[in-house]
Amino acid sequence: MTVLTSQNVVKRFTEGKQTVEVLKGVSLDASRGEIVALEGPSGSGKTTFLSILGCILTPTEGRVVVDGQEVDLSRPGDLPAIRRRSIGFVFQQFNLFPALSAVENVEYSLNVRGVKGSAARREAERVLDAVGLADRKAFLPRDLSGGQKQRVAIARALAGAPPLLLADEPTANLDSHAGRQVLELFRDLAKRENRALVIVTHDPIVRSIADRVAVIHDGLLAA
Amino acid sequence: MVSLARRNLFHDKLRFVITIAGVAFAVTLVFVQVGLFLGLLDNASVTIENIDADLWVTSRNTPNVDFAHTFPESYVQRVRSVPGVARADNLIVWFMQLSLPTGAQEGTLVYALEDFKAWNLPWSVIEGHVEDLPRGDFFFLDDSATRRYGPFAVGQHREISERRLKIIGRTDAARSFTTTPIAFMDTALAQELSYQALRGNTTYVLVKLAPGADVAAVRAEIGRRLPYNDVFTKAEWAQRSRAYWVANTGIGLNTYLTVFLGILVGVVVVALTLYTSTMEHLKEFGTVKAIGGSNADIYRILAEQSVIAAVLGFAVGAVFALAAGPGMEKAGLKLIITPDFGAIVLVGTVLLCLAASMVSFRKVAALDPALVFRG
Repeated sequence: MTVLTSQNVVKRFTEGKQTVEVLKGVSLDASRGEIVALEGPSGSGKTTFLSILGCILTPTEGRVVVDGQEVDLSRPGDLPAIRRRSIGFVFQQFNLFPALSAVENVEYSLNVRGVKGSAARREAERVLDAVGLADRKAFLPRDLSGGQKQRVAIARALAGAPPLLLADEPTANLDSHAGRQVLELFRDLAKRENRALVIVTHDPIVRSIADRVAVIHDGLLAA
Repeated sequence: MVSLARRNLFHDKLRFVITIAGVAFAVTLVFVQVGLFLGLLDNASVTIENIDADLWVTSRNTPNVDFAHTFPESYVQRVRSVPGVARADNLIVWFMQLSLPTGAQEGTLVYALEDFKAWNLPWSVIEGHVEDLPRGDFFFLDDSATRRYGPFAVGQHREISERRLKIIGRTDAARSFTTTPIAFMDTALAQELSYQALRGNTTYVLVKLAPGADVAAVRAEIGRRLPYNDVFTKAEWAQRSRAYWVANTGIGLNTYLTVFLGILVGVVVVALTLYTSTMEHLKEFGTVKAIGGSNADIYRILAEQSVIAAVLGFAVGAVFALAAGPGMEKAGLKLIITPDFGAIVLVGTVLLCLAASMVSFRKVAALDPALVFRG
């Protein structure tokens, strides 16, 4: 079942009098349980594309459908609701809240999604158990290793069962061993919980866990 | 619910302490300045508030209770004959000179009546019997005089207007705005001491209304019979006495200015600390937005932080201000902090801190969540 559809996505930025076309008509789909690696050199537009797929940016032209809901380009105010309901993010620099413990980091994202109270706490503990951090729930991010922080970030993305997971260079700040462990865990969980996973990466290891690799170059998808 | 606002606020302890200290400083300043102001204004009308009179007849345009002018004492007869008046008596309020054992002279504000008991004056007697005042060259002195006159005791003598009088009682809580100590004596004695000004004269007529009497009608009738005097209700006269000092001295402006500066300092401290905190947590706010948080979620975080800072800062500031009270009392200053006043300061503190948080909110509202993808 297709969770993500993007067709002919164009994105132009205006800087002063100059208009720069970063994406020139990119199309990409992802289905439940599928892992897609999105590769490309720096400046190729892959992070911009990920932002559009994640409903953080709106495309200048084109069509994006997330979990059956079409993104209305004229209503950017609707985007937070789509993100809350359907998308989990994993960031290159983890982006955990330093003042919150591991379990609270996950629980807070659930609160933002509208899950409150003991239900949020139970779900947070479940996903932390799933990423192997049952014994690190009460730790603050500063007391966790890089790999553990990224596991918390993965747990946060999984919490609340969003059908689409988007990861931006999730192994960039990890050593190769920790990076591989995190990727394998991410793959296993995405498959087990039947989520679509799109990973933007430079890391060649990602190819080994992906079902499909898409390469973006100069704002266009290469085959 | 996980409170990111609270956890972020308490996470950076130094900034948290600075924020609370800023609010507490402002709150203490407002409490002390306004409290002292209220204390001074209370002094300006404390005798009016405690004397058991419904109406005060004064000479025309008397500005406040301390600055009395004379008029014939016989006017009291006209007042007594007005229907609805249960009792009317002359009251003299007059500045006199008191000689100290050191040879120095100080002013004293004399309150003179024929029947003190009937008018609840003085209202707080520590020692002595006011009924004894007409029986000789006697007077009562308020304890607040110790600060200006030095220690004194019942049985000792002091000269007032060059006449040796015996202290036969001590009172408490009788104050004047000018801090001139208050003495109580019999009307006839006061008239003898200030013979030229007070002979056959009084400065006020106190009026007690009969039960059920129409205040406005009685007042109008007294006004008709005494066309060259003014008639005030107790509340009006107290307000007029207080307003004189606010309008004619720098105290009102000084208090408003200090309160304004205190508020300004508090708002600036809160706004700056919240703003710098927000700047440091910008990426976190970006993350909140990226995971689906709205601007309302962000404002809730900032608002919760500012309310916590306001309430804790208020509590610390109020404790400091209350703790300063006894020390100020020893220095002869009256600090009045009522529950109503406290509630107003609390509400004001919360509202101003919320307003201060808007400075940060403007920054975060415009934040692009896409920054979470930037290394």
